[in-house]
Amino acid sequence: MFSWSTIVENLPYLLQATRFTLLVSGLGMGLGLVMGIVLCVARLSPIRWISRIAALYVSFFRGVPLLVQLLLAYYFLPSVGIDIPPLWAAVCSIGLCAAAYIAEILRGALIAVPHGQAEAAAALGMHPFTIWKRILIPQALKISMPSLVNELIMLVKVSSLVSAVGIVELTRMSQSISAATFRPLEIYIAAAAIYLVINLALAGLGQALEKRLDY
Amino acid sequence: MDIDLFVQYGPILLCGLLNTVLCWIVGAAGGVALGFVIAVAMYYGPRPLRYVLRGYIEVIRGTPFLIQLFILYYGGPNIGLRLDPVPAGILGLIIYGSPYYAEIFRAGLQAVPRGMIEAGRAMAMSEGTILRRITLPILMVSSVPPLTNFSIILTKETAILSIVTVPELLYQVQTMSAETFAYMEAMFALALFYWGFVEVISWAGRKLELKTNAFLSKELSA
Amino acid sequence: MNIYSFKGAVLGLGLAVFAAGSAAADMLADIKASGEMTFGTEMHYAPFDLLVNGQYEGLCKDLMDEVTKDLGVTPKYNDLPWTSVLPGLEAGKFQMVNAPVTITAERMERYAFTLPIADASVGLIKRTGDDRITKPEDIAGLVVGSQKGSAQLEQLKVFGEGLGGIDVREYSSVDEAYADLAAGRLDAVAGSFPLLGYAASKRPEIFETVTPVFGEKKYFAWVAVKSEETESMIAAVNEILLNMQDDGRMAKLHEKWLGTAVELPREMPAVK
Repeated sequence: MFSWSTIVENLPYLLQATRFTLLVSGLGMGLGLVMGIVLCVARLSPIRWISRIAALYVSFFRGVPLLVQLLLAYYFLPSVGIDIPPLWAAVCSIGLCAAAYIAEILRGALIAVPHGQAEAAAALGMHPFTIWKRILIPQALKISMPSLVNELIMLVKVSSLVSAVGIVELTRMSQSISAATFRPLEIYIAAAAIYLVINLALAGLGQALEKRLDY
Repeated sequence: MDIDLFVQYGPILLCGLLNTVLCWIVGAAGGVALGFVIAVAMYYGPRPLRYVLRGYIEVIRGTPFLIQLFILYYGGPNIGLRLDPVPAGILGLIIYGSPYYAEIFRAGLQAVPRGMIEAGRAMAMSEGTILRRITLPILMVSSVPPLTNFSIILTKETAILSIVTVPELLYQVQTMSAETFAYMEAMFALALFYWGFVEVISWAGRKLELKTNAFLSKELSA
Repeated sequence: MNIYSFKGAVLGLGLAVFAAGSAAADMLADIKASGEMTFGTEMHYAPFDLLVNGQYEGLCKDLMDEVTKDLGVTPKYNDLPWTSVLPGLEAGKFQMVNAPVTITAERMERYAFTLPIADASVGLIKRTGDDRITKPEDIAGLVVGSQKGSAQLEQLKVFGEGLGGIDVREYSSVDEAYADLAAGRLDAVAGSFPLLGYAASKRPEIFETVTPVFGEKKYFAWVAVKSEETESMIAAVNEILLNMQDDGRMAKLHEKWLGTAVELPREMPAVK
């Protein structure tokens, strides 16, 4: 009794909601990358308290489930006088959480950048900021490209949690449609297919990018 | 913050935590085992098998766990697969984790220097000895950090088991907040429990890393 | 020279953080001043709240559209998972919950309820053609699912004890209980009768209602935060609800969504 017509009729709504999945995970990834670079640098800082704070940050954001982080951002912050609109709460939570993972990915990659390069640049009198910007970060990004693409795919999947703050993305829309049509299996299979297409496209894009960076 | 709540709901929250830990341990161990088998099959197996496994990896990695579990649990009975909540949850975790673990092992296998294996052959080591004395030890060492990493990610996926009524931590926390309206306390309890849990796993992962490194240096120098 | 001395100078990331609006003395005055009233609900609760072709519909929407029309303001509805609705209300994310909330004594201590908007008595559905269950008492010894934390679950437990025990399973949402009834793990699902009747009418080949309802008489209503701020708002909504009972709008909408119109109390029902 698999009902194809249920899928066909509801596909436009699923696709509409998919835009929010892409928006939240995309912006979250952008924020996560920026924050992740900062955190990674802070984590490697020789100043003890800075690296301690960065380590604590990574531990907290990797340890506490994203759903809880989201709910705290959206429902707890107002009780201490900070009110954030839903989309920002979603993007910030995802981005802040992703930053913890990205920082660790970059840290692993930085270790693989030959130490001599940075030392050579320093010997040439390059400013530490320039060394990071020109030598360390670009190479770390390249080395960690496969892991970063994986992280982005993870984000696309965890973005389903942002429905908790009122954003109707793909998973939420699937739940709503199943609740109205009483055909959850058909709708969930359709949603799974959409997620799969997005993630395969991202994986393909990641591979192409990796090839291009392969100079 | 109402401390009495934690006293009153302490037993069911602890029960929930135990269920979370149990599902995670069995799910992660099963996922590692299945992932290892997949990686080995992809490395040594025939081409058609490799294509099938590649497809499995892409499909499972490309879809959210929530949807996989829903289809497994609520759709399973349509094809005669009727599982109770806890077995369904654990099987779901094993399936969800296996492609990630498989990729970790595959990368580890590829990273074993060919020269070392060739050296083993040159010294007339049997293939079994090469596997046991060279390939596996190196694989273990290089795989431990990413294995720990993914296992941490898997801890948080256990929260999704609540949709198939596995009485794990989130399920019990929802019971508490639905009965008492104490949403903030429930959130804080959840945050603290998970944070503690993940810290313990990270610590164990670091210990394991030191152990495997020590084992390797002993093996290779022996 | 140390290359690791650059210590993340770009930490000042522009987060859009706004200070929460200062607490207003009167929510109704606020609503009238802004011309807008905000609601939170879970649009998963047919026939009260549901999404049809991506549009919000249902008895609660139609009723609230009438209420806000009479108030002369525009309604703004937010869709949230049920576990976020009451926390959202308490965090001030919207002014009222327009999901149907069963009136219970514990909840009245914590929230301000409007007058009843529909009957919430607990009933059952079973798989179509299941001969074991012809009346509610037949669930003795069987497996019955219901929504965690719902008033109907409490009623089911009390009813089950009277029958000498039933196996109760608690679900985070009633949708999963339906799915498990269809999958055969449950023998019946208990919930508010209008909700179950709608499911049975949508998928008659799978679900069938079991009559009559059982347990105490219960009602659905909307809720707001319990404080002085919301008193006038609740009073204004109540007055309109009574007007709608008098002029037949309530009965008409009940017939549209529930099939029948029931007599609703004109004052707050007593709850234990």
